[in-house]
Amino acid sequence: MKKEKLELVSSIEQLEDAILKVRKAEEEFSKFSQEKVDEIFKKVAIKANSQRIPLARLACKETGMGCMEDKVIKNHFAAEYIYNKYKNAKTCSVIEEDKIYGIKKIAEPVGVIGAVIPTTNPTSTVIFKILLALKTRNGIIISPHPRAKNSSIAAAKIMLEAAVEAGATKNIISWIDVPSLELTNFLMQNVDLILATGGPGMVKAAYSSSKPAIGVGAGNTPAVIDDSADILTSVNSIIHSKTFDNGMICASEQSVIVLDKIYDKVKEEFKKRGCYILNKEETEKVRKTIIINGALNAKIVGQKASTIASLSGFEVPKETKILIGEVENTDASEEFAHEKLSPVLAMYRAKNFDDAMEKAYDLVVYGGIGHTSSIYLDVAKEKDKLEKFYSKMKTCRVLVNTPSSQGGIGDIYNFKLAPSLTLGCGSWGSNSVSENVGIKHLLNIKTVAERRENMLWFRVPEKVYIKRGCLPVALEELKEVLNKKRVFIVTDNFLFENGYTKVVTDKLDEMKIEHMTFSNVEPDPSLRTAKEGAKLMREFKPDTIIAIGGGSSMDAAKIMWVLYEHEEADFMDMAMRFMDIRKRVYTFPKMGEKAYFVAVPTSAGTGSEVTPFAVITDEKTGSKYPLADYELLPKMAIVDSNMMANAPKGLTAASGIDALVHSIEAYVSVMATEFTDSLAIEAIKLIFEYLPRAYEKGAEDLEAREKMAHAATLAGMAFANAFLGICHSMGHKLGSYHHLPHGIAVSLVLNDVMRYNSEDNVAKMGTFPQYKYPNTLRRYASIAEYLGITGKNDEEKLEKLLQKIDELKDKIGIKHSIKDYAVKEKDFLKTLDKMCEDAFDDQCTSANPRYPSIEDIKQLYLKAYYGGNKNEL
Amino acid sequence: MSYNLTNEIAVRASKNIYIDKTSVIKLFKENYSKADILNEALNLSRVEENTDLNIPKLKEVTKIGKRWALVTEYVEGKSMQELMDKNPKDIDKYLEMFVDIQLEVLSKKVPLLSRIKDKFKRKITETDLIDEDVKYELLQRLEGMKNHTKLCHGDFNPENIIITEKGKYYICDWSHATQGNASADSARTFLLFSIQGKDDLANRYLELFCLKSGIEKGNVQRWIPIVAATQMTKGKEEEREFLSKWINVAEYQ
Repeated sequence: MKKEKLELVSSIEQLEDAILKVRKAEEEFSKFSQEKVDEIFKKVAIKANSQRIPLARLACKETGMGCMEDKVIKNHFAAEYIYNKYKNAKTCSVIEEDKIYGIKKIAEPVGVIGAVIPTTNPTSTVIFKILLALKTRNGIIISPHPRAKNSSIAAAKIMLEAAVEAGATKNIISWIDVPSLELTNFLMQNVDLILATGGPGMVKAAYSSSKPAIGVGAGNTPAVIDDSADILTSVNSIIHSKTFDNGMICASEQSVIVLDKIYDKVKEEFKKRGCYILNKEETEKVRKTIIINGALNAKIVGQKASTIASLSGFEVPKETKILIGEVENTDASEEFAHEKLSPVLAMYRAKNFDDAMEKAYDLVVYGGIGHTSSIYLDVAKEKDKLEKFYSKMKTCRVLVNTPSSQGGIGDIYNFKLAPSLTLGCGSWGSNSVSENVGIKHLLNIKTVAERRENMLWFRVPEKVYIKRGCLPVALEELKEVLNKKRVFIVTDNFLFENGYTKVVTDKLDEMKIEHMTFSNVEPDPSLRTAKEGAKLMREFKPDTIIAIGGGSSMDAAKIMWVLYEHEEADFMDMAMRFMDIRKRVYTFPKMGEKAYFVAVPTSAGTGSEVTPFAVITDEKTGSKYPLADYELLPKMAIVDSNMMANAPKGLTAASGIDALVHSIEAYVSVMATEFTDSLAIEAIKLIFEYLPRAYEKGAEDLEAREKMAHAATLAGMAFANAFLGICHSMGHKLGSYHHLPHGIAVSLVLNDVMRYNSEDNVAKMGTFPQYKYPNTLRRYASIAEYLGITGKNDEEKLEKLLQKIDELKDKIGIKHSIKDYAVKEKDFLKTLDKMCEDAFDDQCTSANPRYPSIEDIKQLYLKAYYGGNKNEL
Repeated sequence: MSYNLTNEIAVRASKNIYIDKTSVIKLFKENYSKADILNEALNLSRVEENTDLNIPKLKEVTKIGKRWALVTEYVEGKSMQELMDKNPKDIDKYLEMFVDIQLEVLSKKVPLLSRIKDKFKRKITETDLIDEDVKYELLQRLEGMKNHTKLCHGDFNPENIIITEKGKYYICDWSHATQGNASADSARTFLLFSIQGKDDLANRYLELFCLKSGIEKGNVQRWIPIVAATQMTKGKEEEREFLSKWINVAEYQ
């Protein structure tokens, strides 16, 4: 390679220049392919690995701290384990893709990383951070510690050469040659991300630099030895870990907490393996030496045990591994309770396991919150103890039967713990990361999300029986196919008195099926009624419920069914509004386990025989609970127009117009599908054709009755799946505030709502992935076309359709304005604001193609009140 | 005004101090920094004008011959140090009073004084009596300290408190006043006791200060290496060994 003469970085200007160069290099490097990056990553890892011994020697010599042979391991670890861990990791362009869900993750570098390096690991941390940066296509600038600058820079230089030789852009790695706090701070303020490893002061500076920082904190690892632990393994693991690089790994054990029962044995084992237990006097001397005014004496960091003993004023054998002080306090007043960064260990005697945990907890909170804790026990037998321990410790790593120095840095004693020399301490340690820092922390991940449409559905009762006279035939199935024995009939008093249930009961008697009839359903059925019915059901224990009647009876029967099957059901929860029925918070209880539900409509309108909806009123509070869930779908619907033949005119008109509004709203709903469209539009056609006849001729025109029965059920199936719109939101409230029949109430707002929905330039459209742009005018026009209406454009077709609706209303005696129904202006205006807010919050609002403001609803209500065209308010 | 400079009460390396009737005259050596003298006068005036503390008021800054002089009110009384030395059995009482006065000072705000962190940073950066790598650690430690704005005397020790016969106290010598952290001011006082070899008094002071202020001892201790370093910059040979031991501590990693 062509050797560039490197300029020394020793001033702000030079550093500024260096940052600029790295930034420029990174711009190009950021476009490298995964193959090229992996090749560079590999070559640089190999190079760093090959230099592990000279670099370790240099670090030891320069800092005068630590153990050369262990530093070799650290360098080796940083090169080999990091390479091995991430060699196959995707870090360039698309790293993850799910075509079905239309989501892609794209990895991009963060830019230029400022890496602050500690004195304790001056070469291994450089190797680690540079490898991570290269793998993620970032540029990196090393800020070494002045006490270890030569070794850190040597490592960086070797890696830069290897990287450039392997094809990386020149200047991709840089460093500060003459470190000072001023330069470190400047660096931190001018890079894209800071990887800070060091003391709390530096980490704080990193976090306050205004750049995103991954800074990690101090450790004060306690190791608990439970009486179930294997003493030989425990003691020797701790010695192995504590002596590693003379105790300079931040995850290293600072104290050992031993249960009373095994204390002496543990102590013996420590002694036997070359650790020195300090006597009282020596303990005091060591205390005075290691900590000065609450701070760690720099002279002891990374020194051998014998050196520390000499500094304290007494001698121990040269080969002594660890100085152990037997102490009691776990707070700041005890010098041994601090982080010591040297082979000095505190040893505590714990009365029992809880006491040991308390001590470990205190030590962590005092000196190493968020970092690491360690425990030795019999994992197989002491699961509870382990759970107690990891629940209590405020540490981001809890190591079990593991030397914490080598264990905490990962991948040596556990192969799923990511290898890292930068260990996050979470929010406890005021860190932004709680894991072992790795490549994912150095990437910006873009998520590319393509538009997808929801899965939709089409759900109707399993059995829908139709045609005039089908009722008794269908009922035979209860006996012959379903083998039902006890039927509970729910109906209203009028139908009961007029013999509508007799067709059913006769048939049941004939089949020798026990039955009981509840005939007290009132219009707008109350919770009290439902509870009453459910109570009777619990006594009678039916295996079948047959609802006979209009919407009220069928709704009341559905609620009784719920209460019968799930006595504890809370209507408040069940009535909770949802944005998407499949993502709703409340899971509706499973229905049909006790009783089979059969619905027999006696009017052509509500569609409740095929819908998953029911409304119940709490008579105490007046609140209505609209329930919606497919669990509420009847199991069988029997649509026999004989049951409707003698319906009075008013009922025929109100329920017939209701069916029309159902089908129109379902047709323009944001959730409409081809499945619901075909049903809705057919229903509309049938209603326009047969509703006037059914109204006019009643029982004399059985064909019209049958067509209307089918139209209402078709409309029911459509809106059971496509849902409704704001005609219903507004109609619900108008009906309940001013006591208008439901069908009339929804029809009074229909024309104004259709005009409102058909505008091309709506303030807000409904939110649903399938609903792509406002198209409601076209939808209305296509209804018109299906009805044979012609016009020069969609606007005209809509106008003609509205006219046709008005004509239909005229034919069946439905008036055109709310005012016409003798709702007093004063009363109307008084309730208006409340009605608007309630209508806005109605479940039906969310499927409307235009998302209304509360003010919009108010204007619509006002128009519907005054009627006609005198509505310019 | 002319002063009678016959009653000399103290001689320091940089100045002679005289009493003339109701005035104390600090007469600086001829080559002494004019800026430092004016700064001391400015600090004193700021504290005087922004607080209700009992302090000897500044009367004038003047020149006597070729030498600058700072003239303040003379307060008749004894320094707390003298009283402590004289009545060792009352030492607890004096220590209590001492901490109370320090906390009273710390409860004040004088927004225009320089900031303690800036001052310390400047001092540590400028000195060549401390190794670069130790400076790096110290400055990093200093950088991590919170920014407070309490009135810090900066040289709070019993010699700087005058107690009159009626028991009223005056706080003197505001030349080191800054705004900053109570812990730093307390660490300074602890250091001043310790340098004199009064370890026991230093420890009792620190315990009492922490108890009365509710500040954790560890917070005061975190400032000790830093105040020791600023003390080091004064270049007193006899303190060097003692201070370097206090300065050379490691940040946990």
